[in-house]
Amino acid sequence: MRRVGAFVVICAFLLACNTEKEKQQPVAAEKTAAPEEIETYGMGKAWLSEYGFFEGKLADLQPADNVVAYELNTPLFSDYAHKKRFIYFPEGAPANYQEREVLDFPVGTVLIKNFYYPNDFRDASAGKKILETRLLVHEEKGWQPLSYIWNEEQTDAYFEIIGATIPVQWTHDDGAIKQTNYIVPNLNQCKSCHVKDKTLMPIGPTARQLNRKNMYVSEEVNQLEFLAANGLLSGLPEAKERPAFPLWDNPNSGTLDERAIAYLDINCGPCHNPLGPAKTSGLNLTVFETDPFKLGFMKPPVAAGKASGNLLHDIVPGKPEASILLHRMNSTNPEVMMPELGRTLIHEEGVALIRKWIEQLNSSETVISP
Amino acid sequence: MKQYYILFLVFILLWSCGPDRYDPERNYQDKEKEILTQFIIAEDSSVIELSEGHFLFSRSLIMDGKNHITIRGKGIDKTVLSFKGQQEGAEGIRITNSNNITLEDLTVEDASGDNIKVMDTDGITFRRVKVAWTGPINEENGAYGFYPVICKNVLIEGCESMGASDAGLYVGQSEDVIIRNNKVYQNVAGIESENSERVEIYGNECWDNTGGILVFNLPGLTRYGQHIKVHGNMVHDNNRENFAVPGAIVGTIPPGSGIIVLATKNVDVLDNEIKDHKTVGVSVISYELMSAMEGGNEEEQPDPESGVRGIQADFRSDKNYDPFPGQISIYNNKFENDNWFPYLGSDFGKLFLFKLGPTIPDIALDGIKPDDYFLANGDVNPSYKVCIDEQQPISFVDLDAANDFENLSMDVSRFNCR
Repeated sequence: MRRVGAFVVICAFLLACNTEKEKQQPVAAEKTAAPEEIETYGMGKAWLSEYGFFEGKLADLQPADNVVAYELNTPLFSDYAHKKRFIYFPEGAPANYQEREVLDFPVGTVLIKNFYYPNDFRDASAGKKILETRLLVHEEKGWQPLSYIWNEEQTDAYFEIIGATIPVQWTHDDGAIKQTNYIVPNLNQCKSCHVKDKTLMPIGPTARQLNRKNMYVSEEVNQLEFLAANGLLSGLPEAKERPAFPLWDNPNSGTLDERAIAYLDINCGPCHNPLGPAKTSGLNLTVFETDPFKLGFMKPPVAAGKASGNLLHDIVPGKPEASILLHRMNSTNPEVMMPELGRTLIHEEGVALIRKWIEQLNSSETVISP
Repeated sequence: MKQYYILFLVFILLWSCGPDRYDPERNYQDKEKEILTQFIIAEDSSVIELSEGHFLFSRSLIMDGKNHITIRGKGIDKTVLSFKGQQEGAEGIRITNSNNITLEDLTVEDASGDNIKVMDTDGITFRRVKVAWTGPINEENGAYGFYPVICKNVLIEGCESMGASDAGLYVGQSEDVIIRNNKVYQNVAGIESENSERVEIYGNECWDNTGGILVFNLPGLTRYGQHIKVHGNMVHDNNRENFAVPGAIVGTIPPGSGIIVLATKNVDVLDNEIKDHKTVGVSVISYELMSAMEGGNEEEQPDPESGVRGIQADFRSDKNYDPFPGQISIYNNKFENDNWFPYLGSDFGKLFLFKLGPTIPDIALDGIKPDDYFLANGDVNPSYKVCIDEQQPISFVDLDAANDFENLSMDVSRFNCR
């Protein structure tokens, strides 16, 4: 059955290649046709549908029992991909609240992140294309990353360890047509960002990221409270004790300072922290850093090489154009760009936020409120 | 005097404009998926055998959390992993959080950032591995050739590194390191040991770099270096124009630097052949000097907003960092120099010509001293001792750079204390 499905997919793809659409596709992209044989190397299931995370039509992403949707206040930028996130909880084992880190999820938990592009960012009814579903599975031996690539028909997603490059095109918020070669990471690339003190860890679902409302069964509820009320989270403190990130792009949710720091925390902090893969840089871009120098203020790079762009400091208060941080956010050259992985485009709005933030920083008083 | 100066500058400019390229013949095949899969699924204690051929990759080859893996090609320039035009990742090969990994008999080329980066790994061996950048040798090249950082038990032997716009063969924030019998050329820094402990660098040939062998301690990092032995190396003709990007710390190295010891404790430099450098054979300097040099003009007050003193950061506030070198022994080296005049393209060269006349020092000290350089009884504090005991007569200068060269001295006998 699967083979027939795969055959159809291949045929459909070959056919599609002969149409005019091909001209609109970015070059140098790979096929998204599912392979005929899925080799799993004993790491995960061959097809996403086999997990039973979703009910009904898979592409509708309707969560099954024990699967809870969540959103982050300030998410990582991934080439403008939209994301639908879920947590699968094992029976009878709640997560434990953590004030600073990712919630302490029990073994058996699976974090499910679906990457998709609405065809028209301004109009949900125009449909969407799901490209990839990433799982982080909490096994006895630790968290394991798995990646599933969606077929053209959007009926299922197959396991792939080496990643892929998928051409994608959409109508952006401003009505412009945008396109890119979306990159599905290979399993080793996952580790490049998710490692903390040599251990693979989730990044997103911290208390401060989850502390926001979400729609659950026609009712808007705070996500942390929803989890606690459903026996999925223990140790939740009083509301006033819970930290919260602002929404990076919503000025009503926090000051410019707070929004910039939240943006840097999720986009840079996973590597740039004292236990992360970029610790050699001495730069700590997490919300917890209070030393302006370690946050990059007038800090020279350690081994940036040409990526420094002839600039001498990570952040020069008041001078975005003299700040290496902005220079690297504003590049798509693999040697220069930051983050190193997970994007092929410049996040224009993110760059604008950080530019504005650096602009108004006062060079004589570089105090950051954590 | 001034006319000579201009004449020399013109001469040097012309001389340094020659075509400098590395264009090996390559015939690329695509085996990316196959090799990448091997890297991902490799079981502990296995050998990844790579066949002969030139293989092109679009992303970094990453290995994480593996134990006892050997990655083996068919030989330098036979198995070539090229990252020319890579679309993602800032390294060619990246190895992290692993134990006892060996790379041998292959070439890694043209990574967009560093050719091979290894981090948080205990036991990393490079044997007969070449790293290079093809095309013109300039600042467009990647930063590091070999780049183990925060590692333990590092062995780099029989390797070759060329074309790096920072350091060809670098080891940083690591301990128990052996770097031996390598050929390192046409990089900004040839071999660089930075903030590393118990490092032996011997039997290497370093030539045609901007600086041959650097032993550095820089502030603000996870650990500081000491116990380094640089011996039996052939260090010659490291006169290449500095092609590092501004902002890089190695960008301050004057062309024509043989061996530089910066702010590191307990360094032995012995039995090396140090030949034909146009600025200085061996220099022992403090981070104070580096930070002043980065400022460009030492007379001028740096403007804190212009960012000109980028290098120094706030190193004086780092209590664990000592910017002064100490317990340095330099002995039994063989010096030769065919150059007559110091290189005038750097502040050092001009200074030497001005202060010493047409002499290139075999050994130079910056002479910048910490407050506790002298003990109460007038003896030199043993932690800051520099001992020089060469068999042959050498040209020597102690610059006293902190005091505008007031007590500049060419008498090496004061340092004969071994």
